[in-house]
Amino acid sequence: MGVLEKLQLGGKVAIMTGAGRGLGRAMALALAEAGADVVAAARTQAQIEETAALVRARGRRCLAIATDVTDSAAVTAMVGATIAEFGRIDILVNNAGGATSGWNKPLEAITDAQWRMGIDVNLTGAFYCCRAVLPHMLRQGGGKIINITSGLGVRAMRHNYMYTTAKAGLINFTRALALNYADKNIQANLILPGIFPHDDPALLQFWQGGKFIPVGRPGKDEELGPLCVFLASDLSSYMNGAVIALEGGGLAGGQVPTGFAPILPLPEGAG
Amino acid sequence: MGVEAFSLRDKVALVIGMANPLGQAAALALAEAGAQVAVATALPTPREEAAAHACAQAIRALGCHTFAHTLDTTSEQAVAALIERTGATLGSLEILVNAHDLPFAKPLLEITPAEWQRVLEVNLTGVYLACRAASTPMLTRGKGRIINVVSLLAERGMAHGSAYCAAQAGVLNLTRALALEWARAGITVNAIGAGWTEGMDLIGNDSLYQQLVRYLPSKRLAQPREISDAVVYLAADASAFLTGQVIWVDGGVLSRL
Repeated sequence: MGVLEKLQLGGKVAIMTGAGRGLGRAMALALAEAGADVVAAARTQAQIEETAALVRARGRRCLAIATDVTDSAAVTAMVGATIAEFGRIDILVNNAGGATSGWNKPLEAITDAQWRMGIDVNLTGAFYCCRAVLPHMLRQGGGKIINITSGLGVRAMRHNYMYTTAKAGLINFTRALALNYADKNIQANLILPGIFPHDDPALLQFWQGGKFIPVGRPGKDEELGPLCVFLASDLSSYMNGAVIALEGGGLAGGQVPTGFAPILPLPEGAG
Repeated sequence: MGVEAFSLRDKVALVIGMANPLGQAAALALAEAGAQVAVATALPTPREEAAAHACAQAIRALGCHTFAHTLDTTSEQAVAALIERTGATLGSLEILVNAHDLPFAKPLLEITPAEWQRVLEVNLTGVYLACRAASTPMLTRGKGRIINVVSLLAERGMAHGSAYCAAQAGVLNLTRALALEWARAGITVNAIGAGWTEGMDLIGNDSLYQQLVRYLPSKRLAQPREISDAVVYLAADASAFLTGQVIWVDGGVLSRL
């Protein structure tokens, strides 16, 4: 099989959570373009219907199922509906998650409810989805799980607690999955996206146009799609428990504001 | 074992790298904890030689035995001679601190192969030669402590820092490999990972300094002693089970996005 054939996802079924917009939609479309049928799950029906229409426009089947991933019964129902429609699940992308500006506060101001919501949305939801999907992957003899973490899964930021904690938890949750199902032909890997403002002017302004990112700009949603296809495909069949960062180089430096050292020749007598 | 396990009384130490403020600070910390501390230059430049003599003087003022040695760390024979002098003058060497630091930054295309070699030779090969020579008394006694002082540029990249970053990362993983090799020989090998410190040549101009201060979680750079004091723990009996590790003393900067 040639290298490009291994990327083909024809005949495979993928569940994408958080598929209504942004990175989730972009990854869903990339999977569809590689041949997969897609279940678009997210809370807002109107948004996943839009995603579904875009998937269908690419000649693939798509089911839009309104799902709150923090509700384990809803997740179970979504997976049941997927099996009823397609009969199998090959790829699960846990992309749902996020933070609201209301959570950005000093630790002592965070309520119990906010803490639980932050952890539930960004970590527990992925657990619910994996738990519901794994029996089907085991029955089929394999599968691909792709979890979406963040730069905040490996580094911290001022006044950010739930998101950074949950995203770090998601990394080791994925390693645990990778370890426990490695002999069952199930691979679990992570994508670590950098800053993707999704063409939102307010977000773009918040991130200062990405001028502090080594490549000089933030990411475009469609740039994430191919990585998702790679991790969903046979091309990555020996990758398990890995984190791939797609972030313009920020994590390689990140210990100084400019990233540039001043020119410093060898001192006199030291050459 | 209480605080006494941190005492370095009657232990013999050698610190190489007096151009590095962290090397000077480490030598003083070891002396304050009771060790006899020899100090040596990494390179025989007049500036570093003067720093070595000033450091020895400060150690002497603490009532500790010491000597200042002008070393070219790239010379195998010279390093061996220093280890011999340390043993003959102060007693059997137990603690080696490698604070070799030849900072250097240029765009890659402007670095000559000779400059590249030089940066690797001083920052990385010099540490290898020192570990190699110091192992003789340590392996004989079945007891030794090697502590390599590395920069956060061992862990992260910086534009124009390619040669220096490569050398620092080399020292960091040399630390881990050597720790495993000598784990059963009674020698621990660890690193202190230094954050941004006052007096570092790599900081350059005032505008970069100000940006850096705004960026650092602690909103200030470290004083050398704040970083090098960790050397006392790594040199003492208190850390006998700790090996192959890097202790970051960075004011939190490696934790932030």
